Amino acid sequence: MTLQESYKAMGADYDEVLGRLRSERLVQKFVLKFLDDPSYELLLTSMAAGNWEDAFRASHTMKGVCQNLGFTRLGKSSSELTEALRAGDTATAASLLDQVKADYEQTAGAIRASQSGPEHEHHPFVRVPSGK
Amino acid sequence: MQKGNILIVDDSEMNRSILADMLEDEYAILEAEDGVEAVECLRERIGEIELVLLDIVMPRMDGFGVLASMNQNGWIEDVPVIMISSESGSAQVARAYDMGVSDFISRPFDALVVRKRVLNTLLLYAKQKRLMAMVEQQISETERHSNLMIEILSHIVEFRNGESGAHIMHVRALTDLVLRALMQKTDRYHLTGADVSRISVGSALHDIGKIVIDDHILNKPGRLTAEEFEIMKTHSMQGANMLDALTAHRDDPLVRTAYEICRWHHERYDGRGYPDGLAGDDIPISAQVVALADVYDALTSPRVYKAPIPHEKAVEMIRDGQCGTFNPLLLECLEENAESIRQLMLIGGEEGMAKRESVNIVKDTVRTATSGAAASDRTLRLLDNERMKHSFFSALTKDIQFEYTIAPSMLTMTEWSAKTLGIDEFIPDPADNESLRAVLGEDGWDRLQEELRQTTPERPSVSYDDQLTYGGQTRWHRIVLRSIWSADTPPKFEGAMGKATDIHETHEKMAALEKKATRDAMTGLLNRAAAVERITARMRERPDSHYAMAIFDLDFFKIANDQYGHQFGDQVLKTVADRLRHSVRGSDIACRAGGDEFLLFLEYNTDIERTVDRIFHNLCGYYEDYEISVTMGVALASVAGRSYEELFRAADAALYAAKRAGKKRYHFYDESLRDMLSAISDIDE
Repeated sequence: MTLQESYKAMGADYDEVLGRLRSERLVQKFVLKFLDDPSYELLLTSMAAGNWEDAFRASHTMKGVCQNLGFTRLGKSSSELTEALRAGDTATAASLLDQVKADYEQTAGAIRASQSGPEHEHHPFVRVPSGK
Repeated sequence: MQKGNILIVDDSEMNRSILADMLEDEYAILEAEDGVEAVECLRERIGEIELVLLDIVMPRMDGFGVLASMNQNGWIEDVPVIMISSESGSAQVARAYDMGVSDFISRPFDALVVRKRVLNTLLLYAKQKRLMAMVEQQISETERHSNLMIEILSHIVEFRNGESGAHIMHVRALTDLVLRALMQKTDRYHLTGADVSRISVGSALHDIGKIVIDDHILNKPGRLTAEEFEIMKTHSMQGANMLDALTAHRDDPLVRTAYEICRWHHERYDGRGYPDGLAGDDIPISAQVVALADVYDALTSPRVYKAPIPHEKAVEMIRDGQCGTFNPLLLECLEENAESIRQLMLIGGEEGMAKRESVNIVKDTVRTATSGAAASDRTLRLLDNERMKHSFFSALTKDIQFEYTIAPSMLTMTEWSAKTLGIDEFIPDPADNESLRAVLGEDGWDRLQEELRQTTPERPSVSYDDQLTYGGQTRWHRIVLRSIWSADTPPKFEGAMGKATDIHETHEKMAALEKKATRDAMTGLLNRAAAVERITARMRERPDSHYAMAIFDLDFFKIANDQYGHQFGDQVLKTVADRLRHSVRGSDIACRAGGDEFLLFLEYNTDIERTVDRIFHNLCGYYEDYEISVTMGVALASVAGRSYEELFRAADAALYAAKRAGKKRYHFYDESLRDMLSAISDIDE
């Protein structure tokens, strides 16, 4: 599966992202990095522990990352979760978490699929230097 | 090229990384993962960071915490902040703008938008800094000039007055301090910072009226008689009248203030002072404060006839009415600031004073420009304020103002300047522009380039005087330039800002004064000191030329004086001076050396004997029926030596030889006259 195909699979607009980031290499690099981003893990553990403040920040960060990478679906559900947590509405937040989980799995799955595809030129475990 | 540092503050490594990737081609990237790290990084590297990209929601310390800290430390004035946000709540946005944020970047990031916003913000800040530097330069330049003039004036008074130079400085520093204390205490007098500096500057002139008081009263060692005291008392009104006589500047705020101070600094709060017997707040606050400062400094300074009185004792004496009566509010200011006053008097208060003032004015202006602006369009307002400030100062000074860049080679004028000079606002390739050459003169542009070459990034300013031609007139201008350098190492010259101020009248006055100082009043020829200077300079400039010096005096001049009177004698001298002037070229140096003795210095190519013979015969002749004849000694530099002293001594010896041979003749110096006596010293005795 190409990167473009995996965007399609997760219900996202690849061309929009490419238009903003202006380089296929960059999109590629950050999409791969998404899998390493600790926000999702943090969200799950914070929610489970009832640590609403950390949960809010984690879902807020995830929302931001999704916006930047154009992950529309996961962006939408994490945004709803963020607002519920911001408002202190923990009951709604708990009910929204399932949707976020489902969207995350779908998104992450699509990315992994693009990694294993034959067209992909990067080895999955070689991190592209970020240039910092 | 050295890249500018941009600090990216975001708790998400992904987000930092995306921004870093967008910007790293143009800038060096620093990263902080929360507010606490950001503040630490700013504290360590404040001079190096050019811009901050700041996220709002972060653990430990959020974006607003960072902004608060930047405000507290004053960093926000120097480092622009762009907020990264997906928060669109207008309350958040308004709060961020209020705290000094320049712009927003919202998620999702668009590489083009991010790069453009960062660049625009940096350019805006750079422009603002340049303008601030320019404004500061203008203010301090003008201020330095007027401070200098006032200092000269006030010192003239003090020297005549036999006072120490510190009195004026003390009064000025005290006035400044008391007024600032008064401003804290009450707004009854509607004082602004500008008022305070004007009154402080004007205070230096409080005693100028003493210039016209007779010396024997002014410096009388003992007590003045009642009559003498009455004369002494006129100094306040006399000073005021002098200022009022400045018709052209009478309405200038500084002159108005100085007028108040001169006229009323001997009034008393109880109405028993002079010259007008004003009471209470009928006395302008400027004069009240200066009166107090004057008395205080007189008490606390050492004088020949008394030891200095300590602060507490002086205040007690003033409060008890031993030295006049004063506004109780001012007495409070004096009492409450004992420690600052003591410090001020110790350091004299003089040096930092002028500098501090210009810095204060600039800070005030900038504060006004940045604080009042509403949230949403703060950036625009900033720019607008800068423009307004710029045009305000331009209009105020009526100076020609311009900017010059080398790439592209372009001279840009303010609209007013271009109109005044009758040339275009934008002049590409100024070196080859005809209309600009008409204004600057043939070498004007080269001169400007030459002056700019003298500047360095550390000393970017230079000023010089030159003539500009426009509106049908050629007038002298003071040209001030400030070069602009790139941020590279080493910095590259990029261009300059500058202004030209019309100083024609001042220049003419100086030239007239110089003429007066170098000319003999009766004959209009150079005086001896000026001649010596020019002769020395000429020989230094062109050491290989042929030079001759002639000294001559009138034969039997003493008899002309004795027989026909001094007035007749003067006419004879003037006649000789005229003939001398007509016999020599403009480049020759002709001088009345004193009495009936004249000196002539010539540069020649061929046949100096014939030239001397012609001049000698031109000088002789009749004035009315009196026969004028001269005796002359001539020395050539090739024989006598190439210094003024050698030439003069030789010409003098030749003159002596000529006189011994029987007057009405000229004689050239040669080696045989080496030990000859001096004709001049012989006559002088």
